[in-house]
Amino acid sequence: MTSASRVRLRRPNRRLKTRLAVVLMPFLLSVLAPVSVITPVAAQDQGTENSPEDIWSQDYISQIFPWAPESNDRLQFREYHDYFSMKARMQALADQNPDFLEYHEGLLGGVNARGVEMSATEYEGWYYNHLSPWMKITANVGGGEYNDFNGDNGNYADRPDVMLVGNHHAREWMSFEVPMFFLEQLTYYYGSAGIDNDGDGRIDEDGWDGIDNDGDCLSLNSSNQDYNGDGINCGPGDLGVDEDFSEQFITDMVNTREIYLIPMLNVDGVRFDREVYCGEFAWENCYQSGWRKNLRDNTVTGLTPIPDPDEQVDPSCDGVDLNRNYQFEWGAPLGATGPLFPGACYSSGPNNDVYNGPVNYEDNDGDGLINEDHVDGNDDDADGQIDEDWLGGNSEPETKFIQDLTEMNDDNGDGASEFKATLSWHSFSELVLWPWGHCTDCDNPDQEFLEYHGYKMGDMTAYAPMQSSDLYPTTGDFCDWHYGVHNSYCYTMEIGNAFHEYPEDIAHISVRNIGVPWYMIEIADDPRFRAVHGIENMSARHWLQTPSEVNIPSKGDINFDLCLDQYFPFSINKNSSFLSWRFVEPTRQQDDFGPTEWRFVNWNKAAFTIKGESCELRDGTNGTILTSSVPIPDTSVGKLQYRAQLGTTNGAFPFTYPTLEDGGNYYELTMPYRAGFGSAVLSVLMFAFIATIVWGGLAFLLRVMLDEDAPVLSLPPEDAE
Amino acid sequence: MSGSSDEFSGRLGLIFATIGAAIGTGNIWRFPRMVGANGGGSFLVPWLIFLFLWSIPLVIAEFAMGKRSRTGTVGTFRIFNGPKFAWMGLWTAWISTAIGFYYAVVTGWCINYFQTALRGGLGSDVDTTEVWNNFLQAPGEVVMFQALAVVITMGAIWKGAKAIEKVNVILMVSLFVLLFSALFLAFIMDLSDGTLDGFVYMFSIQPEYLVQPETWINGLSQSAWSCSAGMGMAITYSVYMRKDEDTTLNAATMCLANNSISIIAGLTVMMAVFSVVDDPLSAVSGGSSAITFLVLPEVFAQAPGGPFVQLAMVAMFFLALSFAALTSMISTVELCVRNFVDHGVDREKAVGFTSIAIFLFGIPSAATWILVDDSTGVAFPQFLEVQDHIWGYGLMFSGLFIAFAIWKYGWLRYKVWQAQNGVGGFSFRDYLDHGVSSFRDDFINTGDNDWWIGKWWDYILYLGFPLMFVTLMGSFFIDLLATVEDPWNPTNPKGITIILIFWGITAGLFMSMNRLMLVNRVVPTGNSGFPLCLLTQEYILEPRPLFRNVPDGAEVPIDTLPGGIDPYIVKVGESPPDPTPQNFGVHHANVMDAEIA
Repeated sequence: MTSASRVRLRRPNRRLKTRLAVVLMPFLLSVLAPVSVITPVAAQDQGTENSPEDIWSQDYISQIFPWAPESNDRLQFREYHDYFSMKARMQALADQNPDFLEYHEGLLGGVNARGVEMSATEYEGWYYNHLSPWMKITANVGGGEYNDFNGDNGNYADRPDVMLVGNHHAREWMSFEVPMFFLEQLTYYYGSAGIDNDGDGRIDEDGWDGIDNDGDCLSLNSSNQDYNGDGINCGPGDLGVDEDFSEQFITDMVNTREIYLIPMLNVDGVRFDREVYCGEFAWENCYQSGWRKNLRDNTVTGLTPIPDPDEQVDPSCDGVDLNRNYQFEWGAPLGATGPLFPGACYSSGPNNDVYNGPVNYEDNDGDGLINEDHVDGNDDDADGQIDEDWLGGNSEPETKFIQDLTEMNDDNGDGASEFKATLSWHSFSELVLWPWGHCTDCDNPDQEFLEYHGYKMGDMTAYAPMQSSDLYPTTGDFCDWHYGVHNSYCYTMEIGNAFHEYPEDIAHISVRNIGVPWYMIEIADDPRFRAVHGIENMSARHWLQTPSEVNIPSKGDINFDLCLDQYFPFSINKNSSFLSWRFVEPTRQQDDFGPTEWRFVNWNKAAFTIKGESCELRDGTNGTILTSSVPIPDTSVGKLQYRAQLGTTNGAFPFTYPTLEDGGNYYELTMPYRAGFGSAVLSVLMFAFIATIVWGGLAFLLRVMLDEDAPVLSLPPEDAE
Repeated sequence: MSGSSDEFSGRLGLIFATIGAAIGTGNIWRFPRMVGANGGGSFLVPWLIFLFLWSIPLVIAEFAMGKRSRTGTVGTFRIFNGPKFAWMGLWTAWISTAIGFYYAVVTGWCINYFQTALRGGLGSDVDTTEVWNNFLQAPGEVVMFQALAVVITMGAIWKGAKAIEKVNVILMVSLFVLLFSALFLAFIMDLSDGTLDGFVYMFSIQPEYLVQPETWINGLSQSAWSCSAGMGMAITYSVYMRKDEDTTLNAATMCLANNSISIIAGLTVMMAVFSVVDDPLSAVSGGSSAITFLVLPEVFAQAPGGPFVQLAMVAMFFLALSFAALTSMISTVELCVRNFVDHGVDREKAVGFTSIAIFLFGIPSAATWILVDDSTGVAFPQFLEVQDHIWGYGLMFSGLFIAFAIWKYGWLRYKVWQAQNGVGGFSFRDYLDHGVSSFRDDFINTGDNDWWIGKWWDYILYLGFPLMFVTLMGSFFIDLLATVEDPWNPTNPKGITIILIFWGITAGLFMSMNRLMLVNRVVPTGNSGFPLCLLTQEYILEPRPLFRNVPDGAEVPIDTLPGGIDPYIVKVGESPPDPTPQNFGVHHANVMDAEIA
């Protein structure tokens, strides 16, 4: 993913809203500007005004990390790694911690999953000829099975695997700093327990969730509550938020997972960006620009008639966007992204920054046909094989590396990838993205589960969670490939607000993002189950207004509120989420001696709308209100029975309220008569009319009756004679 | 059989007796509920219209038939519809009696509530649900008050028309006084908050209700039940009319008086409830007898003027209710008794027998199958409720039988006219002139009537009545279909099948009894007595004599009627011919002639 407009929304709960917000961002920002001024003033009223020194250790306040001397700017994350320093640090750490770290570069090669003979050099970058360095992390990494293709030890069939990939795009430097920060943290804390990370005398009191669980940040004076200056007081990345995590958790994760950390996939690109394109101080002249792709020499590709004799990188022409080069739905262009065909490279024209690599003209399956079964999970040519002759993609050493690392890592021998969870770091825009990217307004089979985890990670970072294509459509993306081909829950983090952040921002941005890889590692055992479980737990905190809580207006519709977690992946579609109601009136013909008889009618469905107000969930946290209105005439008297169904995005979970614990399958609201009783004047007239006929008539008849001489009433003249 | 006829002392006696029969608990608890459930003043419109379209015309017909036949329902239908249709009278009598079984229980409730109120047991600090549940779930008490109701009724009718008249006059006058007092207090209650909202609601027309068919159907049903029109009661009481008594003006007076009381009772209840209850319409329309026994004691206990007035208010109301119930009970029992007397049974014997039967058959309603409603915790008598469910609408058929008599007579007279004038075929014009109007000409506009009845009555009985009857029955069953779960399950006590089964068995039984027991009687010839002789075929049928209660000097010819030419129908004091085989044959021949003519 790459530069969208800057998004700093606090996770709006619907995608449409997000898209709208992206469009309206400049306007919103200008509107919100005063808020950042107002909030601290409001916060001052809240009470105690500590300064950071009153609470924490000086090291914590100054973000001095314990894994390196204070003076080491790079390891203190005040200075960027380059390829060489990063590789050296990885090697050093692996050397010092051979029990759980194993350093690798590229793969050994052999016959890969598609039956192609690969040599190790085929994973080297085109230009600088480096292999992508990576770290295999797991307890007793030297044990377990040995994988002779990937070259790593420590493969355990019972340990879930998770792949964390940084830097598909060269200029996105934070995307290798965060993995390195993660590596430092993991290495330092593995095996220890009960450390007071912030020096406040307490242990493990504030783990990764984006919330100031222990309230220490909130107790600061207002000027210190927004440490990272993002406008959110005591949000992720601020002092005192998620500052004292559990070291035992880190140890547990390393002991029970296999972590494949690839901090810098696009080594070629990073070197070119740093050494040639932008320079070492890239944030000064390339703050929000830089080199994105790898260094494929497009002028010698395939049938290109013009050779590139000097073998220098031609910035106007060369390179493939690695995050458009995966095979799943490759090259089916949507929006601005399209394949750059060989030869269509103009020295004067704009560089196609999202070139997805050359078309594959090989007969991949040897059946005499070319490109007859594109990689999309379907058997396009109905020959019984799926995705066996692709249009293109995975043409680059870096993407081949990812592909083979994924497909050749089969600890349990079931033929499927082990990576149930995958994470790809990018920058920028402060987003959490999940598949699909290749199609718009398209739900995938795991939509609500992906949403669930996405919202969770959005919470941790205060980044906006959304489906990838809601930002903009892409093709050949890492996550679409991992999810589409290997059914892996794959997330893309868009870190920060620039490609080249200022060095002084590296540390706090890393801190803000560090919960995410740990979350991905944790859910790697069974992300779907964890989502199901989480959604169910979440739904248990929701509530539908009980009859005593419903406000019956003096006239008009009755509104029923459903309070739900704003990150609950619900569907607003009336077929999935709705209020069922029926109005049960006493029959007008009651039996005289039995209990009241009710006229039962069919249930009606009323759609929910988002009310845009907050409410308090069962556990006291904030929720959002869906409301549904039911039209009941003011003159009706009876019982309004109602219940709600809340469906998830894919309709996998119809949750109903009231729940069984709430005691029954519907609530019953007694509806009083609400209309006026009538006009006094008219009723007197009506009374006069009725009384005249009934009482007056009776009086008249009695008079006739008692008067012996009265003539026969209404006797026709002919009979009277 | 004594030789003299039994009659009311005068016109007011008749009117009070019929008003007493017409005014029942329905005026006091059903009417306010209907007003509440059907949009207040909107309900009064159909209710008033159907008074003139249904109640008054039918009561006129009943008076005319009873005054001419001078017998109870069995005899009346034997004379008016022919001997084959005497069972219609039995149906009418049976439905009335079957209702009497449980109505005595209800009357007992009312009496009990009166005495409870008198003893201060319904004060403002009392949980009325508890009072109700405790009472209903104590079978001994319920049966005791049921017995009291039966005994009072028995005493009232023991001596015949004059006694019935006296009791009704006393009770009805008291009822008026009591209800007016209650109305006055309710008026003060409703006015105390500055608005007469109960009054306003009751007399405000809500247009949306006025266009709903249901409002009109309910107006019709309330009008049909409240006046007891077409249920045989007026036939029975008109047996005791003086010879030159008016039939038409009395009918109108009785119905208007009934509706007058409805308005007073309705206003009392509405104003009292609206003044006290927060959501008055739920209270008024949301239940059955519950409003009377649960809501009203609570409401009246908050009357202004201190504990004495409150006690008086509650006691007055339930005394009025008891009186209303008792007078209806009297007419119910009398309807049954009259039929025995017509066939030669001593009055005392008939009263005793009927009373005991009503008491015994009422016991299940009083004491068995008392349930508690889950949602409200209020007890209710399920057996009684099922009885009401089954027999309530059976009453409608009595009205249909009356209409049948009128239609049949009309057709018969048309045929006679055709024979006399040698006209064949069918001419609608002739039918209108010489058939349709003949019942009215021969039995209503007799010269005794103070109100001459025009052609409108024919239209109502020939066109309006069938339409209204079908609407009522149709809506009843449609309503059951719509609201009752599993209506076709015969074991569902609230279903349709159970009604049809009971109706079918009863009607079938009565039709088969028609020849053996109603117009004839079985005389065993062999050793086996009745009813075993029916199986052995060792019996002969002997015509059953019918004694008409004809006042001295009254001109009441019945020879033009289908069942009129029958030597065994005689006036009280006369002896029927010997039931010789010869006469037996004549009897049937006459019947056949009448049928053909």
